[in-house]
Amino acid sequence: MEWHGYTGNILNVNLTDNKISITKENLEDLRQFIGGMGMNCKLFAERFKPNIDPLSAENLIIIGTGPLVGTATPGASRTVGISRFPATGAIANSCGSMSFGFQLKHAGFDHVIISGSAEAPVYLLIWDDHIEICDARQLWGSDIVETHDALIKKYDSCGTIAIGQAGENLVFSSLTLIDRTSTFGRGGLAAIMGSKNLKAIVAKGSKGISIAHPKEFNKLYNNLFERIRNYPHRESWHELGMLRSLPVGMMLKASGQKKKARQCTDRFYLNKLKKRRIACPSCPMGDKDILELKEGDFTGLINYTSSVINPFLMFIFEGLKSYTEAIKTFDLINRYGLDSLTMVSLLEFCNKLYKKGIFTKENTGIEWSADVNTFIQLIEMITHRQGFGDILADGWNKLAETYDDIGEEMLVVKGLDVIFEPRFLHLGTMEFEQVVNPKGAHVASGGSPTYVGAGSSKDKFIAHFKRMGIPESAIKRLFSPPFPEMIINVGRLTRYSEDWYTVLTSLGLCARAQMNRFWGLESASEFYNAITGIEISPEDLRMAAERTWNLMKIMNMKEGFSRKDDKFPKEWFKPLKFGVNELEFIDFFGEIKITHDIANQLLDDYYDERGWDNENGLPTQDKIKELGLEKYL
Amino acid sequence: MVKKILYEIIVHEDKCTGCLICQLNCSYVHKQIFSPSEAFIQISNQYSLTPKILFLEGCTHCNQCAQHCLYGALELKEVEQ
Repeated sequence: MEWHGYTGNILNVNLTDNKISITKENLEDLRQFIGGMGMNCKLFAERFKPNIDPLSAENLIIIGTGPLVGTATPGASRTVGISRFPATGAIANSCGSMSFGFQLKHAGFDHVIISGSAEAPVYLLIWDDHIEICDARQLWGSDIVETHDALIKKYDSCGTIAIGQAGENLVFSSLTLIDRTSTFGRGGLAAIMGSKNLKAIVAKGSKGISIAHPKEFNKLYNNLFERIRNYPHRESWHELGMLRSLPVGMMLKASGQKKKARQCTDRFYLNKLKKRRIACPSCPMGDKDILELKEGDFTGLINYTSSVINPFLMFIFEGLKSYTEAIKTFDLINRYGLDSLTMVSLLEFCNKLYKKGIFTKENTGIEWSADVNTFIQLIEMITHRQGFGDILADGWNKLAETYDDIGEEMLVVKGLDVIFEPRFLHLGTMEFEQVVNPKGAHVASGGSPTYVGAGSSKDKFIAHFKRMGIPESAIKRLFSPPFPEMIINVGRLTRYSEDWYTVLTSLGLCARAQMNRFWGLESASEFYNAITGIEISPEDLRMAAERTWNLMKIMNMKEGFSRKDDKFPKEWFKPLKFGVNELEFIDFFGEIKITHDIANQLLDDYYDERGWDNENGLPTQDKIKELGLEKYL
Repeated sequence: MVKKILYEIIVHEDKCTGCLICQLNCSYVHKQIFSPSEAFIQISNQYSLTPKILFLEGCTHCNQCAQHCLYGALELKEVEQ
């Protein structure tokens, strides 16, 4: 058959025996499971064995991308990876951007299935029909920027997924960077690659992507592109990137760090830091940053990041005294391939335990001090698994097992530290979803009208619900929270946030607010039909997303996860000292304090809206049958 | 007589984000396929500090690339006939 949008090809690479083969996708599968996230889940579910060591040769990495990627469809450039992650033991999809997925499509593949483990360091080259497992001994020991630059020098324009020293040393909080910029694989994807001796994956393609119905596509594309061109805030997004939506300076000010807040303003960023704006392929709302330090001890340092807000968020840690220290530390974390958010959380947690006398110089080997030197020492010790760093390198779960009674104080869900703090931001879907996400605490799939910066009036909610394709029949339930003052039922809404995220990610579309806002379930299905020629309705698309999410849950059920793991961190129920304020765990509109009973009620409502059993938090037999997933049990 | 307006493209490489929208539109308009390698405009060092923009032989000056550049890297300027 002639493929449009999709390439129809899956690349299989076994690193143990150097075996490479190509299999074909079939249309029936693609009606059930869509693109990057959907087919990734299906391919993984058909192949995985439960309870294997995530860092063994038995674990698989499947990398996929969506049917809209590789075309000019605005914001279509996502890369999706699924595996069993070491930090949590969960099976999860992780997403990144930049050019890898785009190049993979142009090389002629929708998915790559990587199995086994190489004897010595290798990198995988996917260059049109030339697929090769290449010697990477010269690259082993290099950081991510060095690795990427060496590969670019060799292959010119190409997409790379690379690991740093943290991945090589199997650190659980390691991640990869795509094109040395976009984080990919929170929870230890880099360690999984490291366990396979896989230093990098390179994709470079020239085959092109054709369109099934050009006339329909042109109309859709031109309309959407003009909407984006005329979007009144487009230029300020170009100028400020993500800083526009998350004013870190205000957060710092509220935390009482006024001097530092002045170093995170729009003007400061533009004058002192911004070097160049970069964008993913096909994105007219680019927000990736190349930063340059123009003063201080690290003058001349160049940092590549998915957003300046990443180093700025680290700045909230009181031990970092100036923005130059924040950028320098962040750059080191990036180069080693560590998770910057986890590093800050770990350091803050360790400092807390040091003040309590649980951690001492004697039992950790570290002269603790809340400053940049301790931070850098900790990063080095974790990356290279030295001394106490070897315990921290095995993640939060290992830390909780090693020391008595400290697990209760961790801001962690299923082994991943929480990113969005509801005591500061209130309990929206992004904050709630951190509890129920099979992956552990994460924020990407919790997007809804309650994400930061979005409007919060009831009318705006309803308009957004319609865009996300939430059925009319559900809307009344979404406005039925445990207490009327809460207005919105965040538990129930989270189910639809996850489904909407799954639609976008499966197609390959960006979920960030500035692109997400231009898409709806209906327009997404229209683009899909025009590009692929595979006719599906908006409801089919939503259903495929629901099927994907349920299949991911079934796989994690087999790994032993259930409601007992969907736990709100106990610390959330205690006041958070933030500057001169004490912040409470309250609902999105700030009216009701969230108690354990309310939190449990919201969990019940989430499972109910999903059609799951609220005793065990798992899909019911009826739901499994409705979605045609019986064969995966 | 209808006056024909001509344009030239002023290139600002420092504003290029490497989004490749110019290449994608060029190849789609002229070759009916999305394929940066078949475009008459080439972007190299896409995500480096110094991206390069080059027009190849065969470019018809249709200006589709510049019309779709929202970052100001390809600026359309009216020229006198």
